[in-house]
Amino acid sequence: MPDPDLVDYAVDYARQKRVAYAEARYEHQTQEQFILKNGVLDAVFVGEDQGVGVRVLVKGSLGFAATNTLTKPEVRATVDDAVKVAKASARKTPITFAQEDAVETEWSVPERKRLADVPLDEKIREIGEMDKAVMALRYKVPARYFQMSNNRIQKYFANSEGSKIHSYSPRLRLFYFLTVARDGDIEQTYRNYGWSGGWDGVRTLDWKEKVLEEARSMQRSLVEGKKSPEGKMDLVVGPQVSGIASHESCGHPTEADRVLGREASQAGKSFLTPEAIGTRVGSGLVNVVDDPTVEHAIAYYETDDEGVRARRRYLYKDGIVHEFLHNRETAAVLGTRSNGAARAVNYNVEAIVRMANTFVEPKDHTVEELLEGVKLGVYMKSFMEWNIDDKRYNAKYAGREAYLVEDGEVKHPVRNTIIELTTPAFWSAVDAVGKDLEFEAGFCGKSDPGQALDASLGGPSMRLRNVSLR
Amino acid sequence: MGDLAARIVEQAIKLGCQDAISDVVTNRSYQIRFARNEPVISNRWRERAAWLFMVHNKRVLLSDIKDLSKAEEAVERLVKIVQTSKENPEYAGIAHGPFRYARTRPDPKILALDDGSDHVDAAIHGALEEGAKECAGSFWRYEEAHDLVTSNGVEAQDHRANLYLSIRALVSLESSGHGIACATKLSQFDPDKAGHKAGRIAALAKNPKSGKPGRFTVVLDPLIFGSVTDQVAGRLSAWAVLAGLSPFGKKIGKRVASEALTLYEDGSADSIGRKRFDAEGVPTRKNLLVQKGILKTYLHNTSSAKRFKTKTTGNAGLVFPDPHAIFCKPGDWSRDELFSEVKDGLWLTNTWYTRYQSYVTGDLSTIPRDGIFRIRKGEVVEAWKDIRVTDNLLHLLKNIVALGNRTEQMMWWGEVSVPNFVPYALVKDVGVTKSAE
Repeated sequence: MPDPDLVDYAVDYARQKRVAYAEARYEHQTQEQFILKNGVLDAVFVGEDQGVGVRVLVKGSLGFAATNTLTKPEVRATVDDAVKVAKASARKTPITFAQEDAVETEWSVPERKRLADVPLDEKIREIGEMDKAVMALRYKVPARYFQMSNNRIQKYFANSEGSKIHSYSPRLRLFYFLTVARDGDIEQTYRNYGWSGGWDGVRTLDWKEKVLEEARSMQRSLVEGKKSPEGKMDLVVGPQVSGIASHESCGHPTEADRVLGREASQAGKSFLTPEAIGTRVGSGLVNVVDDPTVEHAIAYYETDDEGVRARRRYLYKDGIVHEFLHNRETAAVLGTRSNGAARAVNYNVEAIVRMANTFVEPKDHTVEELLEGVKLGVYMKSFMEWNIDDKRYNAKYAGREAYLVEDGEVKHPVRNTIIELTTPAFWSAVDAVGKDLEFEAGFCGKSDPGQALDASLGGPSMRLRNVSLR
Repeated sequence: MGDLAARIVEQAIKLGCQDAISDVVTNRSYQIRFARNEPVISNRWRERAAWLFMVHNKRVLLSDIKDLSKAEEAVERLVKIVQTSKENPEYAGIAHGPFRYARTRPDPKILALDDGSDHVDAAIHGALEEGAKECAGSFWRYEEAHDLVTSNGVEAQDHRANLYLSIRALVSLESSGHGIACATKLSQFDPDKAGHKAGRIAALAKNPKSGKPGRFTVVLDPLIFGSVTDQVAGRLSAWAVLAGLSPFGKKIGKRVASEALTLYEDGSADSIGRKRFDAEGVPTRKNLLVQKGILKTYLHNTSSAKRFKTKTTGNAGLVFPDPHAIFCKPGDWSRDELFSEVKDGLWLTNTWYTRYQSYVTGDLSTIPRDGIFRIRKGEVVEAWKDIRVTDNLLHLLKNIVALGNRTEQMMWWGEVSVPNFVPYALVKDVGVTKSAE
């Protein structure tokens, strides 16, 4: 870490320039990334990134500037830049921030085995063994791509209201993409796992076994898979599908900056209006939460990038829109308090409203109990293709691992089951929720310049009644 | 900063590396984001970093050094790290220079532009004049300087600057349009036109009806056709082909599109993606990708070219070859002629969220956004909403019937990742699906 005085200096200097508000955020990120394609280590990326971002509020306008030259003259020039561009962006409706208490704290995510202590060759061996294990299955796997990364993020945040926060967040991630072929037919998949903590996460998450399970299910789909049934029927979805739905069809539409139009040109708006709090979007069994404080989830944090303490947010509660995700700017517009959802991907971009770890809250059914009630339907454990419109109303999830269900029994695999439903149709069809909560990681894209940010997507299995499948 | 790049390369070689590249990049970009017809934040960057590529006994390492005052210690540490990595038997070296580069220099008027507020105002004003109620978008003045040195005799500089504006205009949540302005010269920058286009589409898209599934003849506006050609270019990276992320594997010399489609990749031509050289210092050039529907080449760096027994196309990416800018050869149809060809079909103006069920087969779906229009006998008869294009990339390309006679430069958040110069396109038999309620 550089001298924290540099961050404090930025805030003090901005104060002298009579700004209404100023904050400075120093970040130091140490990243390693391993790219293994078809058994060959294409390259290792080892990066050490650091800098300071300064945001100021001047006469109701926001200015942001960033530098990676950590000297007092350069930081001073950066503050000058932020003030200058803010003044040049005069608004008719002044931006204000919701009132928040100053926070002085220090937090860190514990590492049982420190990422920094694990030698490079051990990390390379880990990713290589996954590839070897897949090939040992003796399937035809013409394309394999593994990308493993670890990132250690140190921050120091200070603002003109007295907040001073030090934090340390180590993160691990595995992304892989597999192509399995048989007799001219192919199955493709990608999965994404994440962890906040030390290298011990590799063993806890048991990545290798997960990759092998996926490869086995792909082979089985190729060997035994049949056409998926079409029409209205019951559907049991696995945690991966619950997770993507919680992120895309709940988390995004409840981001207050979308609701207010700040993202309209990029990630879009929302089918929810500011007045939508209290309206029904799903059955009474649907609780979707966003919680930065889930231990070891990849988007774990205790304070956000505006210095506001993190807490669990109920976005949909009992099927009703309960709360939006807010930063201080959107909270002020809607007359509420920030709920600590402001995040930035690095020092050189502003913090905006983001999801952290978004998931369907589990209830008490086992998967067997969910399946028991299905006379004819599909059990879609995972998906491949997915998308949703920019108002977050029309979603599509195309099955990767899916099975026919008859009289409560799981039969043969079915290929490319399509769910194409509106957001209320999806959540309203939920009639039972399982207890098998699982998380996967994702990169959530938003803003300009684009900020692809760590997020967790999770949930338990769920049963949906009488939905249209193709 | 050229000295710094040279020192970094020299040190890496002295410490035992066989190949090294350093690209010292200075970023002085400036941006205004706006929403609800007003600026929401202005951003300015003062950044300088050294990108580094080093190879020690076929072990490949990439890095970016942000603290340039400690570059020497960083290189020493990185050389120790690369030695503990694993050999890449497919690594085939970097290009041998020196090379001659085209003379380019940024427009001094763009470099001198210190405030983009007038351009933002012009775009918003244009959209509101057409009937839009709410506008959002970004104005960018990009400025980047590169000093690139390689251990194979390359010493090259490139100072790039350009202007970009993206505006989305809305009459209501479901009635919107999008406009783009790109320029490498201030005198050519036309945000007002982009605003008018966005506003005009938004106004025309008022009161949309729920769309219907089926197969349609479709006119693709340049912005959405740019999404299609951008997909093509990205999937033509040799790396994507090898990783199973492309439907173009083993298709060189084969038909991948209708005769109407000829596509070039060209980082040397005037565009906001113009670069004098790629990441190995190879001069950018014009590469014929698809000629009258026949696939001619993938995009390569030196290593991937060797793997495919060909030569680099000047598209390094040190790990992933990638496109700089895409040019579609225009057809000879006027816009009106294209529309009049549609007896019963659709006009799509933009899309997002293109995702594949299989990259190898090209099965995909993408979600039209902004104006979606039903066309009968060449005329817009109503606006639609809530549809999805569910099709296949190769099927779409093979069903291109005709192209407009004028191209426009398109680049947009997420979907059009590099500049694509594209015309209107007429495509038959496009699959459309919609959500069940």
